[in-house]
Amino acid sequence: MKKNNIILKYLYRYKWKYFLGIITLFVVDFVNLYIPQFTGEITDGLESKTMNIHGVLLGIGKILIVGAILMIGRFLWRYFIFGSSRAIECEIRNDLFAHLEKLSMSYFNKNKTGDLMSHFTNDLNAVRMSIGPAVITTFDAVIMTLMVLIKMILYVDLRLTVLAVIPLLFIAVGGVYYGKAAEKKFTAKQQAFSDLTDQVQESISGIHVIKAFVQERKELKAFGKANKENKDKNMGVVKLQAVVMPSLDFIIGFSSVITLLYGGYLTIKGDITLGRFIAFNQYIYMLVWPMIAAGDSITFFSQGFASLKRIQNIFDEKPEIFDEDTVKRVEHLEGDIQIKDLCFQYNNDAPKALNNISVHIEKGSSLAILGRTGSGKTTLVNLLLRMYNVEPGQITLDGYDIREIPLKTLRENIAYVPQDNFLFSDTLRNNIAFGAADNDLEMVEQAAKEACIHENIMNFPLKYETVVGERGATLSGGQKQRSSIARAFMKDAPILILDDSLSAVDTNTEERILENLKKNREGKTTIIIAHRISTIQNADRILVLDAGEAAEYGTHEELLKLQGIYARMYEKQQLEKQLEAV
Amino acid sequence: MKKGIGVIVMANNREIDYERSQGGRVLKRLLAYAKPYWHWMAFAFLLVLGITGLELLRPILIGEAIDKYIGNGNFQGVQKIALIYLIVLVLSFVFNFLQTWILQNTGQTIIYNIRQEVFEHVHKLSLRFFDITPVGKIVTRITNDVEALNEMFANILVKLLKNIVKIIGIAVVMLSIDLRMSIYSFILLPFIIGLTVLFKSISRATYRVARTKITAINTYLSEHITGMKLIQIFAREQEKYKEFEYKSKDLFRANYREMMVFAIFRPSIYMLSIISLVIIIGVGGDSVLNGTISMGTLYIFIQYIGSFFEPIQDLAEQLGTMQSAMASAEKIFYILDEEPLITNPEKPVILHEVKGRIEFEHVWFAYEGENWILKDVSFVIEPGQKIAFVGATGAGKSSILNLIGRYYDIQKGKITVDGVDIKEMDTDQLRGAIGQVQQDVFIFTGDIKSNIRLKEEGITEEEIKAAAVYVNASRFIDNLEHTYDEPVTERGATLSAGERQLISFARTLAYNPSILVMDEATANIDTETEQLIQEALNKLMEGRTTIMVAHRLSTIQHADKIIVMHKGRIRESGTHQQLLNQNGIYKKLYELQLQ
Repeated sequence: MKKNNIILKYLYRYKWKYFLGIITLFVVDFVNLYIPQFTGEITDGLESKTMNIHGVLLGIGKILIVGAILMIGRFLWRYFIFGSSRAIECEIRNDLFAHLEKLSMSYFNKNKTGDLMSHFTNDLNAVRMSIGPAVITTFDAVIMTLMVLIKMILYVDLRLTVLAVIPLLFIAVGGVYYGKAAEKKFTAKQQAFSDLTDQVQESISGIHVIKAFVQERKELKAFGKANKENKDKNMGVVKLQAVVMPSLDFIIGFSSVITLLYGGYLTIKGDITLGRFIAFNQYIYMLVWPMIAAGDSITFFSQGFASLKRIQNIFDEKPEIFDEDTVKRVEHLEGDIQIKDLCFQYNNDAPKALNNISVHIEKGSSLAILGRTGSGKTTLVNLLLRMYNVEPGQITLDGYDIREIPLKTLRENIAYVPQDNFLFSDTLRNNIAFGAADNDLEMVEQAAKEACIHENIMNFPLKYETVVGERGATLSGGQKQRSSIARAFMKDAPILILDDSLSAVDTNTEERILENLKKNREGKTTIIIAHRISTIQNADRILVLDAGEAAEYGTHEELLKLQGIYARMYEKQQLEKQLEAV
Repeated sequence: MKKGIGVIVMANNREIDYERSQGGRVLKRLLAYAKPYWHWMAFAFLLVLGITGLELLRPILIGEAIDKYIGNGNFQGVQKIALIYLIVLVLSFVFNFLQTWILQNTGQTIIYNIRQEVFEHVHKLSLRFFDITPVGKIVTRITNDVEALNEMFANILVKLLKNIVKIIGIAVVMLSIDLRMSIYSFILLPFIIGLTVLFKSISRATYRVARTKITAINTYLSEHITGMKLIQIFAREQEKYKEFEYKSKDLFRANYREMMVFAIFRPSIYMLSIISLVIIIGVGGDSVLNGTISMGTLYIFIQYIGSFFEPIQDLAEQLGTMQSAMASAEKIFYILDEEPLITNPEKPVILHEVKGRIEFEHVWFAYEGENWILKDVSFVIEPGQKIAFVGATGAGKSSILNLIGRYYDIQKGKITVDGVDIKEMDTDQLRGAIGQVQQDVFIFTGDIKSNIRLKEEGITEEEIKAAAVYVNASRFIDNLEHTYDEPVTERGATLSAGERQLISFARTLAYNPSILVMDEATANIDTETEQLIQEALNKLMEGRTTIMVAHRLSTIQHADKIIVMHKGRIRESGTHQQLLNQNGIYKKLYELQLQ
């Protein structure tokens, strides 16, 4: 029953509102009985001619007061119960997002954006129905059934009641099966909706490729499949409901048939009076609504349960990277990085992405990493950012094992320029100040100047207040990359990592950025990944990676002397330059 | 400057104006979707009437049993009635089942159709639209907003009709019994109508806000789940949480308002029904005392006033749901009314084969207004020629590549391919003839294979492998556990930038285009791979018109012609040697790189 816990936690917070809501429901259902009573009093009075116009007016006054109480009551239970369910929905939504923020990259690699999105809308909605409207229907189903049954037994006849109630047992038993089936069908439906969302999300994200390769029609066809699947799964739920809901009516109706036969028999026999027989029929009729309500409740609950499970799956996902018990109070890093016998593989079956890497990056020094595609450069950076965990002692910063440093401290002390330059759909100013404490315009401009993007920005009509499209869609590749460099400069952290971040800028600009970098990074640690030797030859140390191993390590001159990979690469690139000069 | 940005804000305002301007048209347009299924809906409506009739029959049957048989002690008669009652039950069951089934099926079919239509329409829109519209917003339209229409088609329409019929039916019966009493019964109708109209407009407005906030949440999620890595690396979790919380609270407030509107409206209608009851009792009671009406008439009216208000209350509820559907529909129609800026000509010129002669004649181009990105650009590329564009960022190089595939239309001048104005060509044929290697490589969820062939089943496995081998992508693919069947995740998160780049080469090659367009294509690959790629590209470029943009002079100096762009104009053009001799911008760029 662990699955229930999460929702109980939220319900508990709103227990008083729910309590008040249920009290109000009681009052409303109870007071409701007075309207026919007062109306009856008046009609009886008129019938027997014992009432004059004053009596009528008095009765009217009573009805109006009861009506007003009911009006307020009906407002209040909505306010208490629906209001709380909305508030809980909002809390779960927030908690879900907070939880996602904690999960590691491998989770987001496995789970698709569109799928996650649908949890926030579609599933949360189903959960809300089960803690809002379902409360009302369940209350009505239980309380009204009980009230009617008590009246039947007390006022009419126990035997008749028992016999008439037998069909209702089918509802109770059937309800369990229906609940289970509905949950299954509903899970399938929610999944289909997730898939549909996903399909759209991806198709729209990749619209450039789709248009360039004229895939629109094929996308539509593929979407049609997901769309059809969604329809079919919806119909799966419908099929069930189309049978179950009329069945409820049929079963109550069957009670009426029993009443007619057995009640009629009892009446003819003289065991009960005709008046009571009539009353009993009316009671049966009064059971119709609570039974439909019971059906609705089961539907709401099973759907809510199905969706809750899906949401619970996200909450159950444990973050792989978090501050462990061994974490020390480190608030600032100097930038001395020691990597010792570092081995890493993404999962047990995968080949080693890094094998026995040892390197010491002293505070204030720079390290360049070189290597072909897939040699482990980005893996190394990911490990330094602790996107994945490594064994104790393999990476230490300022003498602390990386796992002893609070995650927040670690990442706040590293500025990073990723390969793919993700910008948020926000102003350039906010994008550049993303990692910094504040967005002081002067500092933003300073960083932009150093990243050689200032002039471009000043050419925009709105300058630094320019809002860029999603993922920076309204900027060119070079502009995005330089904005992302400015973002890292602005953060001004003790450690800076550039992951092949100068690929989309021209040589001239690259030179200027490197120049600024040198000035800016005085006394601070810099790690730079690149393919061109011209970019990295001035680094204090150069590490050449080959298939996850440290093939060569040293200064530019030392590596040239080695006559290995680096020297060959250098020669090749020199040759190219010479060829260009011809 | 690049693609014009203030537009995003303007686009949002435009949407709001659009919604306010739609009013009654939305319903009409929505109903048009139900039109092909009107006979099913009519049938369902008949079933609903049948069900109502059967429901009314039940107490009559019981009454008959009481009056005719139970009173007389005729048990056989009771049995007969019980049998009839059972038949009525079975009929009710069948009718109910059919009704639910037909309506839901119709509703789902309509939803399916609308989804297909929106999806298809969105894919027809020009890149301009996608530049300024967040992905999450489009996703919400196609998924959640369309979903919100289901209830209306599957339930509300028919029930609305049923309740209207019910109200009219009861009103007619009441009128036929006693005119004066009926008028008193209906005296509050203007208030009810007034209240309903008020409720309708308020609830439409609140639903509209709620739908907008849902969109905002989805847009935020879509963007921030994709950008989660960056948030974590920059340790911005708390700030981003606050942003999300703010939007979430916004949605909560909108939902809360929606709830409150209902919470006030429903009991108010109830109160009106009580007041009506009281009026009937008061007036009727007085009349009974005066002897103007019989006790029976009063009794009937007291009963009827309840039955009269029941459908009215239902109707009010259903109108609420309608408003929710309409608020979604407005948003959907807004997208459907978005005209594609680039449309296929009605009678496109179909080329037997695209040879690849490209000509720009005095082309002027701006993403918006007079913000010219290209100014009077003219050049000719002969079939099979290799042309390189160089220049600083923002010089307009990438725009030229986009214009050839007609992703944007130019304002002045003419672009021709094989002598035909591209505006007169079939855009599918045009784009199909162009192989584009993009800056940001987009990888779809699936496997390596499906990312090379995309959804073109005509490309065989052999062709896929040949393409991969050709561009040297096979080296890393063969090292993967499942080689070509290796699953890849959204956006290719598990692949390195270089690997993604290689896949995109293979993808382009597999489509065998006659024109090759490359934007910064070789930047992310190490020297060794770059050489291999270069080799492959040289082979690939043979016989194909190639247009490339690159900052590395080494990759472009073997081009037949190099065009130097500066601030939207062509400043220099010629071969590498010619340009060096010219002693202009190219020379400077070149020397800078050599230093």
